[in-house]
Amino acid sequence: MRALIESRFGFLALVLVAMTALFGVAFVTRPGVAAVPPATPARVAVQSVATVCPDPGGATVSTITPQGGTGAGQATVTEVKAKASPLARLDQPGLLWQRDVPAKSGPLEIAGAGAMAAGLEATQTTRQAAGAARGLAGVRCVEPGSSAWFVGPGPAAADVVLYLTNADAAQAVLTVMVYAGEGPVVSESGNGLVLKPGEHRAVRMRDLAPSPLVMAVEVRTISGRVAAAAKAVLGKGKGADWLPAAAEPATSVVVPGIPGGGGLRELYVTAPGDSDTVVHVKALTRDGFYAMKNRESLDVPAGSTASLDLSTGIGGQPSAIVLTADVPIVAGLMVTGTGTKQDVAFSAGAVAIDIGSVVADNRSGKKISSRLILSAPAAAGKVRVQTLPRRGAAPPPVDVEIPASRSKEIKLAAPGGRGDYSVVVLPQPGSGPVYGGRVLDESTPEGLLITTQPLALARTWAIVPQIVESPTVVLP
Amino acid sequence: MHPPRPSVTAIVVSHDGARWLRETLEGVLGQTRPLDRVVGVDNGSRDGSAKILTEAFGPNSILTLPRSTGFGEAVAAVLDRLPRAGGEEWIWLLHDDCAPDPRALEALLWAAAEDEKIAILGPKLRDWLDRRTLLEVGVTVDRSGRRDTGLEPREYDQGQHDGVRKVLSVSTAGMLIRRDVWEEFGGLDTGLPLFRDDLDLCWRATAAGYHVLNVTDAVAWHAEAATRRRRRMAASSDHPRRLDRRNAMFVVMANLPFRSLVWSLVRNTFGSLLRTFLLLLAKQPANALDELVAMASVLGSPRRLIKARKARRQGRKQGYPHVKRLFTPSGMAYRRLADMVQNYLSGSGPMDSAGRHHAVISEPSKDDGDELLTDAGLMQRVFGNPGVLLCLALVAVTLAAERSLLYGDLLGGGALVPVVGGASDLWQFYTSGYHASGLGSDGWAPPYVAVLAALSTIFLGKTWLAVSVLLLGCVPLAGLSAYVATRSMISYPLARVWLAASYALLPVATGAVAGGRLGTAVVFVLLPAYAALASRVITGERRSARRAAWALGLLLAVGTAFAPLVYVLVAVLGGLAAVSFGGVRRGVGVSLGIAMAVPIVLLFPWLAQIAGDPGRILLEAGLHRPGLVDPRLPADALLLLSPGGPGMPPVWVTGGLIAAALAALLFRRHQTVVIVGWGVTVFGILVAIVASRVPVRGAPAWPGVPLAFAATGLIVAAALTGHRVIELNQAGGLRRAGAAFLVLVACTSPVLVAGLWIKDGTRGPLQRGVPSVISDFAAASSTGGESTIVLRSGADKRLAFTVLRGRTPLLGETELPVPDATRRRLSDIVAGIAGGRGGDDAVTLATYGVRFIAVPAPVDPKVRRSLDSDPALVRVNLSAGAGLWRMVQPLGRAYLVDDTGRRTPVPYTQTSGGGLTVVVPPGPAGRTLALAEPAGAWTATAGGSTLAGRTVGGWAQGFDAPAAGGRVTVAYAAFWHDAWLWIQVVLVGLVLVLASPGARSAEAAEEYVEVPVEREAQGVLVR
Repeated sequence: MRALIESRFGFLALVLVAMTALFGVAFVTRPGVAAVPPATPARVAVQSVATVCPDPGGATVSTITPQGGTGAGQATVTEVKAKASPLARLDQPGLLWQRDVPAKSGPLEIAGAGAMAAGLEATQTTRQAAGAARGLAGVRCVEPGSSAWFVGPGPAAADVVLYLTNADAAQAVLTVMVYAGEGPVVSESGNGLVLKPGEHRAVRMRDLAPSPLVMAVEVRTISGRVAAAAKAVLGKGKGADWLPAAAEPATSVVVPGIPGGGGLRELYVTAPGDSDTVVHVKALTRDGFYAMKNRESLDVPAGSTASLDLSTGIGGQPSAIVLTADVPIVAGLMVTGTGTKQDVAFSAGAVAIDIGSVVADNRSGKKISSRLILSAPAAAGKVRVQTLPRRGAAPPPVDVEIPASRSKEIKLAAPGGRGDYSVVVLPQPGSGPVYGGRVLDESTPEGLLITTQPLALARTWAIVPQIVESPTVVLP
Repeated sequence: MHPPRPSVTAIVVSHDGARWLRETLEGVLGQTRPLDRVVGVDNGSRDGSAKILTEAFGPNSILTLPRSTGFGEAVAAVLDRLPRAGGEEWIWLLHDDCAPDPRALEALLWAAAEDEKIAILGPKLRDWLDRRTLLEVGVTVDRSGRRDTGLEPREYDQGQHDGVRKVLSVSTAGMLIRRDVWEEFGGLDTGLPLFRDDLDLCWRATAAGYHVLNVTDAVAWHAEAATRRRRRMAASSDHPRRLDRRNAMFVVMANLPFRSLVWSLVRNTFGSLLRTFLLLLAKQPANALDELVAMASVLGSPRRLIKARKARRQGRKQGYPHVKRLFTPSGMAYRRLADMVQNYLSGSGPMDSAGRHHAVISEPSKDDGDELLTDAGLMQRVFGNPGVLLCLALVAVTLAAERSLLYGDLLGGGALVPVVGGASDLWQFYTSGYHASGLGSDGWAPPYVAVLAALSTIFLGKTWLAVSVLLLGCVPLAGLSAYVATRSMISYPLARVWLAASYALLPVATGAVAGGRLGTAVVFVLLPAYAALASRVITGERRSARRAAWALGLLLAVGTAFAPLVYVLVAVLGGLAAVSFGGVRRGVGVSLGIAMAVPIVLLFPWLAQIAGDPGRILLEAGLHRPGLVDPRLPADALLLLSPGGPGMPPVWVTGGLIAAALAALLFRRHQTVVIVGWGVTVFGILVAIVASRVPVRGAPAWPGVPLAFAATGLIVAAALTGHRVIELNQAGGLRRAGAAFLVLVACTSPVLVAGLWIKDGTRGPLQRGVPSVISDFAAASSTGGESTIVLRSGADKRLAFTVLRGRTPLLGETELPVPDATRRRLSDIVAGIAGGRGGDDAVTLATYGVRFIAVPAPVDPKVRRSLDSDPALVRVNLSAGAGLWRMVQPLGRAYLVDDTGRRTPVPYTQTSGGGLTVVVPPGPAGRTLALAEPAGAWTATAGGSTLAGRTVGGWAQGFDAPAAGGRVTVAYAAFWHDAWLWIQVVLVGLVLVLASPGARSAEAAEEYVEVPVEREAQGVLVR
């Protein structure tokens, strides 16, 4: 020890030993590469839902809340006006409620809370055997929101009416934008529409933009929320139907639920941004992806809508259209039924039904049929299909598998063999993204009556993100 | 034609001056120009002065007067009795403690013959004891009456001030004055018995157009016995200093023309107050009292002043320009201030220049060149200092590297919350007992807020400036601090320069700047000061060690407030030092105890808060974000002093430094200190390992502070061997090569860090122009203190939010403690809203006082959809930059809840301290007035009666609302908080006083008491 201290190198050695020891400690205690645990969003049952049926006069309104919520709950059906008392109070989840609404009724608000909220779904369906609006026309009652997209024929091809409802307690100010085939239509009358609380308004698109043959309509609120829906009447003998709300602009869009059989299939694509784009079009049939000859792509100028006839391309198969572009696009599709008097139906870009989907109004019978067309553009899908009757017990659910990159058509049967019913489609764990549409058609001597509805996300679960209180948010 | 030879009468006034009188009389009688007459006056001496005078001048030339006679009276008494000699007659005034050189009178008269206007002349005065030290070569004053000799303290006479020149005043010690002039002005003002009578006389003479000269060829040695209190004064019972000050002010005020007088009055009043304050700071309360009393006695007797002014009315205004030219030039004030600061920094107290007599300023026109020369000397002194050069170099490096951070809007990012608000906001935040920010908290604001507030106050209320200087300037500041702090440890300046540069340019510094780590930056600057003070505590002389201990305690408290870990580091070493040195040196243990206890006492309530959450000890001021630290900091980085995170140079850059410190171990000299340095390093690295491995709130802490600590030890160890390297260099040959190599290796570290830093710039999260998360609209609409939820989606789909009250949080507000239960409850509500759960989440959120939900870009479409679909929320705007939603029915900070649970907002106004004044409308009984604040020590009074409190919704404060309605005053009872604040103020003041350098007058007096006795003995021998 003494020698160590007296040696010139003694302390150097000691320090080196100490440093080595420190290095060892630091090395050993160094944590391994810890994979950051992915944020696992929690699912919570939706506590309240409000939907607005835009124009239920003369239509059948169907509403359903699937079972699954906890505790009690109540749903009310109320006409949207200043002082309204509920038309009906519902407290039975799992049972379909239907009512034929007298004509001249204003929009109906169907609001559920508690157990009657999770998955609340409502539809209005009209069946007219004659007249200009002959045909089956159905629309999903919409939740008020800040923006809505509709893609379909323009006022030059059809009489398109926009139904705008403000069911909230706050005033809504909104703007209607039209993207026609020639580009965006600048119109003063579509700007700054004011809807007072409880007010609803039907806007004829002809008044905003008379000339477009095809168009996309964007309803955007500047403040407040609005429930928007659009109905297109093509004219006597040409049919009528509601335009379903299209998914928000995205670079990849799936238009699901295209029924098989004859008739026109016309695709509308809008590029609302500032740059032109080439949209790649592929059909997803029960045999897989299918690039249609001469219809592989579609040029869409910036801010305008383009259309493409896919009737021969799809070849009458039930399918979905998958569109990809390098700028966000919105898409819609028109289906024409066969017969001497035609009826039309519309589909639109939809989102994957990750947390399930509910279709309130389905009918099956001798001449009338309801079918689901499910597509799995990526991994294989696995869904559970459950039908819910108006009364009585629900039949056991059916599991359906959709192979990867395939579409599949599922015929729905009424529980107990008759009556109207609702259907719940629930992807099972491990399923890839599934898109779908529901087709409802009825054959009449003059021709097929048809309506389609892309499957929308059920309002069952809210994906509650992981959230922390942290003052770091004051900095980017 | 020779003019007739003038007659000169010497008058020696003696008063208990036997100690000096013999030598004085020898000087008077031994003049080469013999005196025509000599007269001695004895003012009732009790030490035999009269006898000595009689022996020298003979009994006929002696006049005996009572003890209380002043100098002026004594001279006047002589002149009354002395017949005129006829022709030109001069009077030579001499004190008993002023021995003239044999050639003095000759020189004075020779100079007097130059011009008829010359009326008063004075010799060059040197010190009685230290015969080469200059005392006066003429005296001037500034407008506040401060005497100025124009000499450095204890300046040696090397002929540098020689020459005959006009001055404002000369001392009466050795003053040669024409008798007619004396009589014209009535001699010295007898109202000024001891001091400044000379100034008064000379001023009047100058104003009347006469010249006052200082003749340096004439020399006299002066003991300044009265001023230095080496004899008791009988002429006045007052303390000499007080008298001096009073007379100074009096003379200036009596002689200034009216307009200047007004200005001088203001200036003197404020000057005196400031001086009193500084003297108190310097722990010289007696001097401070003198200053105050002197001022009060001048201002307190206006009649005397008016009388004196009346007597001097003639020619005062006309003559003032002559006088004005002879005042202290204004530049001198700054120079004196600089000297004072320098003195203070060197530890000798801010007021050292007070005792000495200063003098001389001659005609400015003549002296312009000289002035420039002296200024050049100052410049040379400043820029020749290696420390200053080092600082300039570091500033240049910093400016070049931080080029992106110098200009722009809000500074923020990394750990630094955008710096908003001013000093008053910070003070308000620190002092209020309840913080109406975030969710509301009654916790203690972090004490560093007070430090920043104080700094911001110095920077004219600009917090951003204070933060910029501390954070962005931490490199040059650390360099300066390291250079100054090691002054007493390392004698070789180049080694200190290397040390300071190596320390300032550590990776810790660049990392602290890049990461916006204000806490580390401050501690980084303070660490060298800790080292210096600690070494003084351990090795210093007892009084200075105790002072250093208080200073260390205070600075340690500041550092601890910014980064608590530094306290742990210092305390462990302090404990070790107390064990090792406590037995060896008396008082070291107590001193160290003081240093360790001061931070705990000063920071007590906040430290108690920290102790409740021990992980926070590892954290520092500002935000703790996982992105700012390297969770897997490699072992080699830790050993190479690289703390990881943004702004790091490659780890190997400090290799040269480590190598130099290892090489230092091979030298035998200073080996103990080198070993201690290495011990500190090993300890620091060990703590750094712990800090970087223990996760606190999801991520380990940044080990910057312990690594800076480790580096301090390392660098001091290496720098201590600096002079040994020079010796090696001088040895030549192989050793020389080795020394050169060693220096080269040692210098790689700072040079490389500086180079890389400049090359890369500060590429860290710290940036200028941080966008505010609260839009102007939200801020303008939240004047009632309503909250905004800021919701930001992270990189991995995680969401984070916080609650802000209509503005970006102040520094430190983000560190207020939030109870976990509240945090969880609110998180659940916000998650429900962000996830679109529906329900009444948004309505519940309104009870927290929330009015807005702000989502900064990029706005997650899902979140946007959820917020859009909530009926209780309305979108205000949405753009690429941000989205803002507002509550349809906000409740504000106060609302009423009735029996059915219906909530209605009530009008209120905010008062200071987080309180409210609410106007409750009349209504049914059973209503509750609820606050959007956590339940706590709230009180509510309505019409004089106190309302019963209750908890609403499990967390909020509520009160029984009065049925009749009316005005309800809601306040937070924070008595103990306020009491503690006052205690803190007192404690900080106390510690400041105890830590600041004290008076040296006691030491000086001791020194002088001894020496004159020796002189006297010498004098006897000479005789």
